[in-house]
Amino acid sequence: MTSISMKDVSKYFDGGNTVANYRLNLEVDDGEFLVMLGPSGCGKTTALRLIAGLEQPSEGAIYFGDERVDGRSPSDRNVAMVFQNYALYPHMTVAQNIGYPLKVRGVPPDNRDRKIEEVTELLHIEDQVDKKPGALSGGQRQRVALARAIIREPSVFLLDEPLSNLDAKLRQEMRIELKRLQNELDITTVYVTHNQEEAMGMADTVAVMNQGTIQQLAPPLELYERPRTAWVARFIGSPPMNLFRGTRRNGSIDIGEAGTVELDGVMSEEAAVEAEGGGRGQDDASAASVLTTDARGDVELGVRPEDLGVSTTRPTSGNAIEGTVDTVEPMGEYILVNVSVNDQIVNAKMSDGLVSRGDRIYLTFDDDDAYLYDDNGELVA
Amino acid sequence: MSLRDHIDSLTVDRDRDVDTGVDREKAVAIAVFLIPGLTLFGIFSVGPIVYSAIGSFYAWDTFTMENFVGLDNWVRSLTDPLIVHWANMQELRYPMGALTHNLLWVVLHVPASTFFGLALALLFADLKGRRILRSMVFAGFTVPPIVIGLVLMFIYDPQAGIFNELLRVVGQEQWVRNWTQSPQVAIYALIAGGIWVHTGFSMLLYSSALSAIDPSLIESAKVDGANAWQRFWDIVWPLVKPVTAVVVIMGIIWVMRMFDIVYAAGGAAGGPNHAYSVLGIEVYRAAFRPEIDYGMAMVVALIQLFIVAPLALYIARMN
Repeated sequence: MTSISMKDVSKYFDGGNTVANYRLNLEVDDGEFLVMLGPSGCGKTTALRLIAGLEQPSEGAIYFGDERVDGRSPSDRNVAMVFQNYALYPHMTVAQNIGYPLKVRGVPPDNRDRKIEEVTELLHIEDQVDKKPGALSGGQRQRVALARAIIREPSVFLLDEPLSNLDAKLRQEMRIELKRLQNELDITTVYVTHNQEEAMGMADTVAVMNQGTIQQLAPPLELYERPRTAWVARFIGSPPMNLFRGTRRNGSIDIGEAGTVELDGVMSEEAAVEAEGGGRGQDDASAASVLTTDARGDVELGVRPEDLGVSTTRPTSGNAIEGTVDTVEPMGEYILVNVSVNDQIVNAKMSDGLVSRGDRIYLTFDDDDAYLYDDNGELVA
Repeated sequence: MSLRDHIDSLTVDRDRDVDTGVDREKAVAIAVFLIPGLTLFGIFSVGPIVYSAIGSFYAWDTFTMENFVGLDNWVRSLTDPLIVHWANMQELRYPMGALTHNLLWVVLHVPASTFFGLALALLFADLKGRRILRSMVFAGFTVPPIVIGLVLMFIYDPQAGIFNELLRVVGQEQWVRNWTQSPQVAIYALIAGGIWVHTGFSMLLYSSALSAIDPSLIESAKVDGANAWQRFWDIVWPLVKPVTAVVVIMGIIWVMRMFDIVYAAGGAAGGPNHAYSVLGIEVYRAAFRPEIDYGMAMVVALIQLFIVAPLALYIARMN
């Protein structure tokens, strides 16, 4: 069993012109399921390849347990990897594919066959062992790739968007199966995806990445409840958090023509969170600066769609932002109301659809549900 | 037969009528497009083949067909020492006959150019500037073979040739000779030249086959723990195998049709005392040089065809 740690790892391509990763710091505990989540081109796959040894870091160090492994070849690291396109060897049968890692390690055929039997049973592909990968469905190929990865009991299990080539229903099934498998085998796992459902559903910890850096490293729920930057807030959630651009002025936030929100309520809630959460020095400092200085500045006020209420009349108390209904999407489970506020579309989830296009409405929310980001995009409240 | 079946069969009949209507139109269109090609193919391929096949059973007075002689031309050609020289073969002395020389080309040239082609393709696969390197190696194949033959003459020239100069530089002067005119070694010198040219062709085919291999397969093998040799033998080689079939067969066809390089080096005789003559040379000499023996030319050309045609057919039918 192995823990992984990356210390200030950077990776440059094209002689430094392209920065794939910049100063990644990451700890994955033994047996932990870490998901790297981010949009395409954010460097998550490069980070995975660095861990696998398929790329060497330009700077920094990678440790498995106490051993420094950067500079070692993939085969010396005892990692197993599942590629996005599964990378099954097309000329080998399923059994030969699965047994290949053992074959190159010189495991005798008898042992190999026994192990192949074990893992194919575990993944329910025992009927497919004599077929070539070309004769398998996407889901079966996925299972073969997984079987090939786990057969030699690797110390680290790496998955690069393994579910992205499957249809929605199969993806859901495999997600459950993967999580169960990881729990059973208890192998340290790093999983790369751009799909936040997968990330939230499977991860012990999620590393949200953007532009080659880790934006936030947190368990799924914390990520949802406390997105540390405006970028993460915009990325997590379905649909993600609404961010109203506004200006802080005289103890309130001015959101253009749509109204103002009192800073006091939002802030006091923040102060309480800070007090109980503690430890986040930087946040404290910037929060304090927002609280104490009376200076003007651009801020973003965040409220999740599910925390917004829609009212056709101006509420007498509490926070309200005025807007016009742009479109109404009945999703079944909820009704998504897209509201135009200062030419910006925000989403609200409602249980009933009593509004229609063109209605003037008021979006209401509790102080507790509001997030405040400063002009650097850092969470202050 | 139930009523339902009866009605079904009626419907089918009607459909078929409609189909034949469309088919007739299609058939005309197909014929119109096929006629030009088939005409050319008939005049320049099928016609001469059939003409030779028939003519090979007749006696010829220069270019005039005389009386039917049965297998006479065939027997005469196949026992001619210019085609197969059994006595010299037993003593391993050149000339051994054009057919033997051709087969020697197959045995030496084809494996060597295939191997070097694969080796260069693998070597260049991950190199910077691989495009330039590939173009340079392939350039040889784009040059007309007659020019290659002439270039070989320069390379092997006893006084000015770079090959002999190289031997002198490395102190192996006892080897210096007129390579293309020394009967016992000349064929190897020419085959070496052929390998040099044809390697570019195999390299190109292998390069494209290698670049078609999904890089993640190689990476996956790396992660699985395979070393460089295992990655080649277990992953790369099986995936480029179909290309190997093409490379080998194209190589065999190329050397079976060999003419220009030999002609440039040895003229219509195929070297001193026909030392490295090939079938193509024998066809040429029998057909166009006195004494003209048209019957033999046809037989030798047909022998070439018998060897090459099945191979060509195999390639054409490959997936």
